[in-house]
Amino acid sequence: MSESNLILEVRNISKSFHGLAGSKIIVLDGINLKIDFENNKGKINTIVSPPKSGKSTLLKIISAIEMPTAGDVILYGNKYSNPDGSIALIPEKASSFPWMNVKQNVEFGLNIKNYIPEILRKKREELISFVGLEGYEEHFPHEKDSGFRFRISLARALAVEPKIILLDNPFHNLGKETKTELYSLIEKVKNQYKMNFILATANVNESILLSDNIFLMKKNPSEIVREIHIDDQTKNNLDADKYNSLKSEIEKSFGKHEEFFNLS
Amino acid sequence: MKKIKYLKNPGFSLIWILFIWIVLFEFILPSNNFLPKPSIVLLSFSALEGVYHLWINLSISISELYFSLIISYLITKILCENFSWFHFVFNIAGSIHKLFNYVPVIIFGIFLVLWFPNSNYTGFVFVFLISLISMLIKTKDGSLKIKKEYFDASISIGADQKMISKNVIWKSVQPILLDYMTEIHIYLWISLILFEFINGSFGLGAIFKIALKYKDLSALFSISIITGLLIFLGFNIIKFIRNKFIHWSNI
Repeated sequence: MSESNLILEVRNISKSFHGLAGSKIIVLDGINLKIDFENNKGKINTIVSPPKSGKSTLLKIISAIEMPTAGDVILYGNKYSNPDGSIALIPEKASSFPWMNVKQNVEFGLNIKNYIPEILRKKREELISFVGLEGYEEHFPHEKDSGFRFRISLARALAVEPKIILLDNPFHNLGKETKTELYSLIEKVKNQYKMNFILATANVNESILLSDNIFLMKKNPSEIVREIHIDDQTKNNLDADKYNSLKSEIEKSFGKHEEFFNLS
Repeated sequence: MKKIKYLKNPGFSLIWILFIWIVLFEFILPSNNFLPKPSIVLLSFSALEGVYHLWINLSISISELYFSLIISYLITKILCENFSWFHFVFNIAGSIHKLFNYVPVIIFGIFLVLWFPNSNYTGFVFVFLISLISMLIKTKDGSLKIKKEYFDASISIGADQKMISKNVIWKSVQPILLDYMTEIHIYLWISLILFEFINGSFGLGAIFKIALKYKDLSALFSISIITGLLIFLGFNIIKFIRNKFIHWSNI
């Protein structure tokens, strides 16, 4: 891992809060992550962990929406504590605005960059077409399914040209067909925009299919227990044997920590 | 089932009441002090303008109420889009609102009449203050119910406070506010009529006062019908605006 490529580092992040009875609830305990995003190449890093293990909290901390109790997020060697669009988060629940149509939702992102109207219009059309929403410009998100809303959120996030996009369990509760379409879309964004992703999921299949790197995070308290790298060759020739071996490797790693869970 | 549906329809009930009124007070009990004869009510509609200056008083009440509502809505919008100001004004509005939990708001109206006996704008000021304070409080409550995802996504892509206030908070609060406007609409009418009744110079309330003074049963009845129709119309216009232009909910 060359230092020049390293752009995101999560240093000893802890998060705790006080419960109703006054007890201290530890959500994250000393999380360390070093994510190497290669220059001029998009990458998908996935954090796989059981449900309710603090993935969403970790992503919020990485995107500087939430402050950690302890620790730092370092982006390009600098502390990242003020969200400036470098790390865009797409939350688990639909976040496209129901009062704006597809066009206006994407413009919301573009307006942050203060483009002149002509460039704004060009970029808007480009993004809408890229995420597959051409012809739906005037449609409102709440008229459509979660997949449609995800596409809007993705286009809006891309509009601010972030360095990293954080995806918080985005394919949860989606139909098989929509999931497959969105997997391809993420791959397309990664390759075409050289975009880096951090995906948080509890779905092992998803992580194997999409990731270049998998971080396994156990819960109670949450802690990264292993990193599995999937090289391009393995990824491009992923057959049933390789897939099963990766899956059992992941399951074994979690098994070691006596907290195997129903990872689908 | 069909029969029950008919009974639940307010229009159907209204027709029934009208029918009973006509039969009872036109033919069975024509002279009484309880309700007027339907034929006299019809005749009194034309007399309302000459004796009670119906149109001018009606226009005053309508403009006082709906201008107050519109201006309150616009002020709430401006404050909401400048959220730092909104907090400041909300704290003042919240304190006043708390006071009116114990002191009926109409008492404030009585004081307004006392302080400005010759002013033409006291009715407007009275309704405006009630609607503005109510809307500010509703907006504050509504802003606490906005989905966290909208904030998280906006903040993470670098949207500033002003953009979020304008595009997220105000937009999320609008349906709540419009729904609330349909709720407070009747309450504002009651307050305004009571105020005008006490003030006794202009508006529908003033007509009620004069008609009551002369014990003009048919005029009282006609004005009541007009007031009811106005409130019905106003309610449905607000509802129409809400459904037509604010098509989303906080989803």
